[in-house]
Amino acid sequence: MAISSELLSAIISFLMTIFILSYLIRDNPLFRAAIYVFVGISAGYVAAVAWRQVLFPLLIEPIWTGAVFSNPAQAILLFFPLIGSAFLLTKVSPRLGGLGHLPMAYLVGIGAGVTIGGAVLGTLIPQINSTFEAFDLELAAASGRNLLLTTVNSSIMLLGVIGTLAYFHFGARLHSDGSVRRNVFINILTWVGRIYIAITFGVLFAGVYSAALTALIERIDSMRIFFNQITLSL
Amino acid sequence: MRVFAVAIAFSVGLLVLLGYFVPSETLLVDVRLVLVQWAVILAAVAVLVGVLNLLGVHWQKIQRRQKGGAYSILLIVSLFSAAVLGIFVGTDSPTLRFYLEAIIIPAEATLMALLAVTLVYASARLLRHRPDLMSFLFLGTAVITLFAAAPLPFGKVPPLNLLSDFLSPWLTQVFATAGSRGILIGIALGAITTGLRAMFGIDRQYGGN
Repeated sequence: MAISSELLSAIISFLMTIFILSYLIRDNPLFRAAIYVFVGISAGYVAAVAWRQVLFPLLIEPIWTGAVFSNPAQAILLFFPLIGSAFLLTKVSPRLGGLGHLPMAYLVGIGAGVTIGGAVLGTLIPQINSTFEAFDLELAAASGRNLLLTTVNSSIMLLGVIGTLAYFHFGARLHSDGSVRRNVFINILTWVGRIYIAITFGVLFAGVYSAALTALIERIDSMRIFFNQITLSL
Repeated sequence: MRVFAVAIAFSVGLLVLLGYFVPSETLLVDVRLVLVQWAVILAAVAVLVGVLNLLGVHWQKIQRRQKGGAYSILLIVSLFSAAVLGIFVGTDSPTLRFYLEAIIIPAEATLMALLAVTLVYASARLLRHRPDLMSFLFLGTAVITLFAAAPLPFGKVPPLNLLSDFLSPWLTQVFATAGSRGILIGIALGAITTGLRAMFGIDRQYGGN
């Protein structure tokens, strides 16, 4: 009897689900086997995507087809990543690995530039703006919101933002009695910040738990469908 | 070599950073795009180096007949089959799609499903080991948010409707927004500091002491 690819996919999917769920009992060889296969397939898939989507079209193909030789500008543009790639590949060898520091420094530099730019323009400025825009009573009046309630809620939010930031402030001063303590005002703000952080993580926990529960229900449903398929095929 | 590496990190970091803050028609923006494209190529090579390193570690485990070597054989076989198929046949080939649908997606979904059980276990442990105000606030908020979002079989009956209509939105939109805003600003400040330390060579994540 020939097994269709759909049925084979359902059988393997079912086995992977059972093997991984077996971890609920305890760590066992079936769970480990499933995880090693998962890691292997994922790593192979990522390597294939890196080759097919990035390296081949951007680096190898222009050289392979000779397009780079007819266009000096493209040749110059490809020269640096080609040399960098060769240096980076030396990381595999412990003896030549030092050469890989240069392209790694390049990647870290680019990463740092992108991170700082993204943090300033994408997070810091918009978040600070939003904190103060909440006090915009004209906007609140235009959207029909209660002005007193908006002011109270905005003040609670401002206190929360400052408190949360104070919680992550670990600076302390040496006092005359030799102890190292934080400022009393910062300590009060830190305590307030802890309350906000507890509530924030509670909401995040609820979100993650909902997603995990959805995944569990989907897996149980997929097993039910698999049993139905098997029953029907028999 | 070390000075050269720091100079590279600083100069490319500065060029990319300046590219964010200058008008979009300038040459600096084009330079930033070229630099980022080179980084994409080098990052793809770094992925390959990582995969080769993974292969090397597990190959050594098999050669030295270490404990768990049988799992390493499984890993190497599955890695090779996916990589060879993906590279030579294409990432959208039916066989690789089969791997994706039969192994990767179910495994990821089941790992996520495991989280549903482990989170409940972790919550119970939290209450047992740290029964303080913050733990009760954390779990209380989680329970209120979950109850408010859940479609209850008996509908929105008082006083449960207060949870979904008033308390949960207030906690989520005022307190949690403020907390997450503070955390995000903190993360951004931390990212800026870390980025500057990397650019100036104070932290050298790329190697070289």
